[in-house]
Amino acid sequence: MADEASRGDDELLARIAAGSQAALSALMARHGRGLRTFAARYLGHAADAEDVVQEVLVTVWKQAARFDPEKGRASTWLYRITVNRCIDQRRRRALRNFFGLDDLVEEPAAQEADAEAATAAKQELAIVRDGLSRLPARQRMALLLRAVGELDIGAIAEVMGASAGSVEQLLVRGRRALRDHLADAAAGRERKSS
Amino acid sequence: MTRAEFEKNRRRFGDDIEAWPAPFRRQALEFLAPQANADPDDVLDGLVREAALVEEDGALARKVMARIDRSAARPSLVPSFLVAPAGIAACAAAVLVAATVAGYQVARLEDQPQDSELLALASGERLPDDGSSAIIPDPGEEDSL
Repeated sequence: MADEASRGDDELLARIAAGSQAALSALMARHGRGLRTFAARYLGHAADAEDVVQEVLVTVWKQAARFDPEKGRASTWLYRITVNRCIDQRRRRALRNFFGLDDLVEEPAAQEADAEAATAAKQELAIVRDGLSRLPARQRMALLLRAVGELDIGAIAEVMGASAGSVEQLLVRGRRALRDHLADAAAGRERKSS
Repeated sequence: MTRAEFEKNRRRFGDDIEAWPAPFRRQALEFLAPQANADPDDVLDGLVREAALVEEDGALARKVMARIDRSAARPSLVPSFLVAPAGIAACAAAVLVAATVAGYQVARLEDQPQDSELLALASGERLPDDGSSAIIPDPGEEDSL
């Protein structure tokens, strides 16, 4: 296992393609949390995110041989699969909501912000989470891929199937909206205390 | 000062911190001191990263392995493309087309008696009760031929 952990992503994927479960475990240890964090914050449902990440890793296990390191980085490939699964999951959820089969709605992050008022720092993180959950889906996706996946603009564009210019626009708008949300929250708190 | 307060003051006094009123400027500079050389976007991304983090689930690897074992032990008899959303949509489209064609066929069969009834109505004939054709050839017409 320690041996697997020292290998690069490309090498791990090659070993997964050859049937090594140890390599898959090493890849999960490296990227599992990032993928889960991305899916959880993008979808707004921890249980859906869990399902999506499991599906992604099973897909990686079955299709690792299709990964071509010449075409891009392994992390880009992993996030691309995750993004596609997340979009499918959102559609399924929307369809179930439409037919009234599901009464689940997106996590009420605003309540979380109130509940998590123990310290200013924690409250601030809760406000950021709240702001994230209110962003349009594509702005949220771009910001999360940048911050959580640590992908560069080119990789985000590849994952989202968009041009680099439109990804930059999404990031600019998303960051601006998040800053505005932080400022509004601070102003609201000030009004409350006065 | 928190990031939220900083952003609120930035919106209030502008991007140039040097132009802020003294007490706010001092607080802002103290807040920014540890990240003086950092890009503000990177700082915000760091905050997003920290805020987005979810609890580590140690069971993820176990659950994925169990799923892989299950799918290996139980090969599906249904072709995989049929259970994908595109496959389901294609099947639904095929059923719809088949139902439409069948509907047209049934409607065409029912058109025949309707045509004869309309023709009888147009020629002023009474419709027979036994369902036979209402158009009776004119005997005079037969003779003339």
